[in-house]
Amino acid sequence: MAKILDMPKLSPTMEEGILTSWHKKEGDTVNVDDLLAEVETDKATMEFRAFDKGVLLKLLVADGAEVKLGQPVAILGNAGEDVSALLAQVGGGAAPAAKAAPAQESDAQASDAQAEKSGETGASGEKPAAAAAAQASAPAQASAPAQDTSAQAAAAAPAPSGKSQPRERGSLLDRTEREGAPRARSASSSNGPRASEGGRVFASPYVRRAARERGIDLQGAQGSGPGGRIVAKDLETIASGAAAHPGASPAGEGAQANGHAVKPASPAGPASPAAPATPGLAQPEAHPLSMMRKTIARRLSESKKNVPHFYLTIDVEVEKLVAFREQINRDLEASAAKAKTEEKPPKISVNDLLVKACAVALARVPECNAQFTPEAILVHKRIDISVAVAVSEGLVTPVVRNADQKSVTAISSEIRELAGRAKAKKLKAEEMLDGTFSISNLGMFGIDSFSAVINPPEGAILAVGQVREEPIVRDGQIVAGKKLAMTLSCDHRVIDGAIGAKFLAELRSLLEHPIRIVTG
Amino acid sequence: MARNIRFREALREAMIEEMERDERVFLMGEEVGHYQGAYKVSEGMLDKFGEKRVIDTPIAEGGFAGIGIGAAMVGLRPIIEFMTWNFSAVAFDQILNNAAKLRQMSGGQFNCPIVFRGPNASAKQVGSQHSHAMEHFYATVPGLKVVAPAYPSDAKGLMKAAIRDDNPVLVMESETLYSVKGEVADDLDVIPLGRANVVRQGKDVTIVAYSRMTHVAMDAAAQLEKEGISAEVVDLRSLRPLDEDTILDSVEKTHRCVVVHEGWPYGGVGAEVADRVQRLAFDALDAPILRVTTLDVPMPYNAKLEQLCIPQPDRVVAAVKRVVYRGQA
Repeated sequence: MAKILDMPKLSPTMEEGILTSWHKKEGDTVNVDDLLAEVETDKATMEFRAFDKGVLLKLLVADGAEVKLGQPVAILGNAGEDVSALLAQVGGGAAPAAKAAPAQESDAQASDAQAEKSGETGASGEKPAAAAAAQASAPAQASAPAQDTSAQAAAAAPAPSGKSQPRERGSLLDRTEREGAPRARSASSSNGPRASEGGRVFASPYVRRAARERGIDLQGAQGSGPGGRIVAKDLETIASGAAAHPGASPAGEGAQANGHAVKPASPAGPASPAAPATPGLAQPEAHPLSMMRKTIARRLSESKKNVPHFYLTIDVEVEKLVAFREQINRDLEASAAKAKTEEKPPKISVNDLLVKACAVALARVPECNAQFTPEAILVHKRIDISVAVAVSEGLVTPVVRNADQKSVTAISSEIRELAGRAKAKKLKAEEMLDGTFSISNLGMFGIDSFSAVINPPEGAILAVGQVREEPIVRDGQIVAGKKLAMTLSCDHRVIDGAIGAKFLAELRSLLEHPIRIVTG
Repeated sequence: MARNIRFREALREAMIEEMERDERVFLMGEEVGHYQGAYKVSEGMLDKFGEKRVIDTPIAEGGFAGIGIGAAMVGLRPIIEFMTWNFSAVAFDQILNNAAKLRQMSGGQFNCPIVFRGPNASAKQVGSQHSHAMEHFYATVPGLKVVAPAYPSDAKGLMKAAIRDDNPVLVMESETLYSVKGEVADDLDVIPLGRANVVRQGKDVTIVAYSRMTHVAMDAAAQLEKEGISAEVVDLRSLRPLDEDTILDSVEKTHRCVVVHEGWPYGGVGAEVADRVQRLAFDALDAPILRVTTLDVPMPYNAKLEQLCIPQPDRVVAAVKRVVYRGQA
């Protein structure tokens, strides 16, 4: 039974992806977990693997196509199966379609003839016109057509010569009513088509004229049309200096997508740098937006605009925490030496302890482990902490599941492994989905303190700076001490000041008495 | 004042009024007289005008088309009815090589004021040889004029204009429209050939259609409106001459264009419209021009397959969504 393969969700915030390259072609046999294609999502270049086995009967999108989440991309079934009903379904209603490229043409025809003889019907209870029409482009069958079958529509076109498939062998409808995917322009880069490549702006004629008349610079702008074509509806966005993000309207952010980690920097700037007002000044360099960058720009803008943030900052004394960390690492080294293992013992970081501490604090103040929905506040029963990881193109937030139930060493090795795969763009969608609370740590970059943007739909994010050596007044004496500033950004619809403060007090208590982090 | 009358009545009124106005006008074709017309378009006309002006012919399109052309050359103004335009293929030589060319080839010594009319394109399960849209075969021919009305009022006004025109004019009707009712003004006279009509205002996309497909386009536009897409519908009415200005004005406004017709896709009216729009309004376009046509096969007899072959509102909706970049229908 043939079935349609839809574009799967390959990253938490994916709404569309660029199918950079198919690894299978029509007619190929596919086994479960075979690599079908590579897809550039907003997060990474992901592998799209087969969930079922069968023969790849039809590819519905070409290399380099921008594909929406859930959009049909291929049809998988048995060799020679008639896929016209599915194609009609894909084509939007009564769209007839051609037979899939058969693995072996003769087989396909035989099965067609078979279907005719046995009066096999399509999804609608009638063999769709598609099939009928398709037969017109297939060599005529010798079987006598039964009355009222699609054969009546058959045999209009000459039989194709030889075995070779025409390059474009779409359905009758495809050939007249479809706009094909834009033809490849230059060698497709791994980033897929761009609105401007090699200086050429890829825009509709109307957009070019309007841009000329209104003095809008399209260079470097990204369009929402097929293949990144800049179309009329992108004009206002480009004119206003914001990035045009592809796709029609963004999908609703339900309780589903967990997105980006948060970045202290401002969201992405203009996609199309305005020409300097003063003549003679050098033009800025335009860097086309990656899928990830577009998502960061959109989601963080939405978050900052729509989520009422407020910030609570504390300075925690962390001499004991630092000492505790050193103690743990010494113990780990000693155990490794005793076991005579070849491998280097893992090192626990302050951040690992922080993740565990936050998990424990959230278990005690569950109101901060919550998210807003228009109907209700959802208080999560699981504590899944999203940890921001900087990658070359932006940020991703792999999730440490049930962090409250894991040991610090388990959390540490998990974060190390997740971060490694994040940098290699190898994270799976589900590994970035459905966190309940985020931590963003810029300490390693020498930042003392900052305020992070909430990662929707979570209710809060903790921004952590670096450990600072500072004089501390203790019992009237100035002593050398270590401090760590952290700022909790709260969604005021979910968390009130007192609740946020309660959480931070709990966290401070844990960090200043670190043994409690592991003893609970 | 206006009356609500059927398409067939509007055509009949036009012929009767013109036959009363000008005694040179006569009607000729299979079953036009005693049978009252295969589709009852000429009902009552035999009684009204007698056998000299409402003439039943044998089944011989080439013959009576030729007689009509000869009559027109010597000063009469015949209306020739084909039982279906599919059968006009038998008379194609007469229409193409005589009617269309006589004026030019005779250096203006002969006119050919003749009207060819009859139902065109699909009906309901009349088989492949009775179902095809023939208009673009004729619309390619210089020397002919081709009209394809969608509403009774246009049918009447264009038929009157066709009868008065000194050139051969082909009136493409639709069997499925004959019983459709519409307002026709009492004082309606001639609707000039070569003028399209904007039958629905919109801002997002121009849907160009004619004959029965205008109704399909209007249904699609109503459906699109529910989804927040505002479609303008241009009813061509006349295919040759083609009213470029009305089409271009609309596309200049909407920036997108979908053409709907019952002819086959290859070299059809849609291709002609698409060419003119891209050539003359290139800078107005925000999307490729799409065509929604009957599929590229002989019409199947099977009722469901037939419906799948003929453009339906949902296919028009899907094409519009593609050009307005609304999802990937």
